[in-house]
Amino acid sequence: MIQLIDLSKRFGNFIAVDSITLKVDPGEVFGFLGPNGAGKTTTIKMMAGLIKPTSGRIIINGWDLAEHPNRAKEVVGFIPDRPFLYEKLTALEFLRFIAGLYNLSSNGVEGRMHYLFKLFGLTDWQNELIESFSHGMKQRLVMASAFIHQPTVIIVDEPMVGLDPKGAKLVKEVFREFCNEGRTVFMSTHTLEIAEEVCDRIAIIQEGKIIAVGNMKELREKAGSEGKKLEPIFFKLTGGEEVKKVVEALRF
Amino acid sequence: MREIIILLTAKILSYKNSSKQEDTKRLLRFAVFFTIGVLFWCGTFLIFFRVLSYFSSIEVIGSLLASKLLSMVFLTFFSLLIFSNVITALSNYFLSDDLQLLNSLPMSLGSLYTGRFIENIVNSSWTVLFFSFPVFLAYGLVYSASLFYYLTLIGVFIPFLLISAAMGTVLILILVYIFPARRLKDIILIASILLVMGVFLFIRFLQPERLVDPERFYLVMDYITDLKVPTSPLIPSQWATNALSPFLFGHPEDLQFFILLLWSTGLAFVVIGEWVFERIYYDAWSKAQEAKSAKLSRSKMVTRLLEALLKPFSSQIRAVVLKDIRTFLRDTNQWPQLFLIGALIIIYIYNFSVLPLEKSPMPTFYLQNLLSFINLGLASFVISALAVRFTFPSISLEGKSFWILKSSPLEVRRLVWSKFWVSFFCLVIPAEILIITTNVLMNATHFMIWLSAITIGCMTFGITSLGIGLGTYFPRFKVENVSQIATGFGGMMYMIAAVSFISLVVILEARPVYLFFMSKLRNLPLTGGELMEIFMLLFIALVLNILAFILPMKLGIKKLSSLEV
Repeated sequence: MIQLIDLSKRFGNFIAVDSITLKVDPGEVFGFLGPNGAGKTTTIKMMAGLIKPTSGRIIINGWDLAEHPNRAKEVVGFIPDRPFLYEKLTALEFLRFIAGLYNLSSNGVEGRMHYLFKLFGLTDWQNELIESFSHGMKQRLVMASAFIHQPTVIIVDEPMVGLDPKGAKLVKEVFREFCNEGRTVFMSTHTLEIAEEVCDRIAIIQEGKIIAVGNMKELREKAGSEGKKLEPIFFKLTGGEEVKKVVEALRF
Repeated sequence: MREIIILLTAKILSYKNSSKQEDTKRLLRFAVFFTIGVLFWCGTFLIFFRVLSYFSSIEVIGSLLASKLLSMVFLTFFSLLIFSNVITALSNYFLSDDLQLLNSLPMSLGSLYTGRFIENIVNSSWTVLFFSFPVFLAYGLVYSASLFYYLTLIGVFIPFLLISAAMGTVLILILVYIFPARRLKDIILIASILLVMGVFLFIRFLQPERLVDPERFYLVMDYITDLKVPTSPLIPSQWATNALSPFLFGHPEDLQFFILLLWSTGLAFVVIGEWVFERIYYDAWSKAQEAKSAKLSRSKMVTRLLEALLKPFSSQIRAVVLKDIRTFLRDTNQWPQLFLIGALIIIYIYNFSVLPLEKSPMPTFYLQNLLSFINLGLASFVISALAVRFTFPSISLEGKSFWILKSSPLEVRRLVWSKFWVSFFCLVIPAEILIITTNVLMNATHFMIWLSAITIGCMTFGITSLGIGLGTYFPRFKVENVSQIATGFGGMMYMIAAVSFISLVVILEARPVYLFFMSKLRNLPLTGGELMEIFMLLFIALVLNILAFILPMKLGIKKLSSLEV
């Protein structure tokens, strides 16, 4: 469903993403983990078509993003980490706008909009201007908009930022259900518990390179960690010793 | 004091760091702004120098006029400074992003007041200081003022700035204390533009051209009496005028008194400002955080009408156009600009309706058509001014939400062209109304009316394309205020390109029109050579229009396709 082949991105002399290769299968919730500045958002932005790779290929649902950008984008629902929206539109107008961009016919789409408003708890707010929404509500609205065209792939950057516990639980369930139907979620996150709970497979990126990929068992083996939790594995792979030093320093 | 220095250091460092980025672009931008600034500066100096030299040559009323002009200059600066300080104080004390952090720190209110007060003075006063200097220099040179004049000028300006900054700050504190800040920003913007527009229309309708009418000279004694009366003895701008008058006109004013009056008032205002600030700022700021953004009506009829009008277009185009129209109608930041342009167009048309063509010694037929031709250029400039405000920012207005379009299957080409056509119709309609109305008011010939209507119609393609194309080439997605989009480097480049394009087309059409009218005037047919010349020049004008239509759009689409967000 998603293939990243030898994908790189440079900003001047700085290599943000360094020749990464990944394959994500249908029906998978794929977690993309890494410390700050590791290259997660850059990779996700390249997959969403927001920035152009310096080299390498991105193939989504069989479509090469560089050669057929619109065909690839038609099957993707993108959820960024910061929900910048058109503040002067109402939630309903915004969803209609997104539906228009995806060339959806007006007959079935109205029903789907109301279903998504109900699912994400926005029914009472659909006629309010987006500028009056909280961060969490905007995040819910972006999610609703990402599902409006019934995509086969969801690419999401930090899905839980700004969501309350109820919202976070809902999102986990929605993603799981989405993948049970044979579709794919590619998710970057800092919240290790969520990755551990929701993701079928996880890739860890550091300094632009994939340092580990696999399911929990494979990651544990790779890290040589006895623990069952993802946190010790993550720290072991990404330099947990440094974190210990920071904690020590904070004691003084 | 330490806190104030820390506050100011953070700002200075932010400015220093941001000026390090994009060196070549920044240098180019600086060069353009600097050149325009210097030209404007020189222009102001020359105008004032000439006017004051003329005044100095007139017996009796010359120095009275110069003194009156000086008090008017100070009064204008004073109003500008207060208004400018109200806007900057609103932003610096209530809307700035870093206030969340600053107000959570154990910092005294006095330090915040003083730190931001200094920032207000710098932000709101530098343009006034920059452009006022040539005025005062002209006064100094024409009236051969001594060095003391310039020293007094500094001594006058410092308290003058303190008074206006403190007044602006106190005014905004009280207003925000009463009204919520986010709503207030809209109110101030609309009110200020309406005020400017009102003053502009008022002056225009007063018909200052009547002042040169000899029949009105019997009022000269009343005029002199009027000149001798000071504008108002209680306004600081009059004190500033009185403090400088002894050096320029030898008026026996009490110099020390007015300087001390300015300084004592200035310092008192700063202290009063701090007193008011410490008492009401926290409440006002807290209220501003609670204020919800303004909601505007959402008429179903307008929505249905728009949807019906856009029915023939594809769903992608319809979605983008509907979104743009809704955003425009609900964004009050855009309205003042619209009012201002509306006023400009009304004045423009009005001016043509009062032109005293029949009093001119030149043949009316010749003059009407000459003016009609000049009108073509002027009306095109009006349309390009409209375009720099509304067409040029079209893509930049997507702002930080541009990721939505970029990650959607909407082709960049379709997006840019949809913006083009909406803008084109919004420009071509006022352009045609403007040119036809003014030509009819001047009784221009049918030939001139048709030529002007066709030319401006064709030029609107180029003007729109330049606006959309260059606006797309120089996108500014991260501005806080939409009016900043048009006033940036890209806006400047657009105006230079549009003015050059319009001038070239008008120049290319000048000769064919001249030949045509000369043949009409002499009642002789055009020669073969003349016809050839007309054809060639019009053909070049047409090619120029086609190039202006195609090239900027291509450039913009190419840039936006490769833009990374």
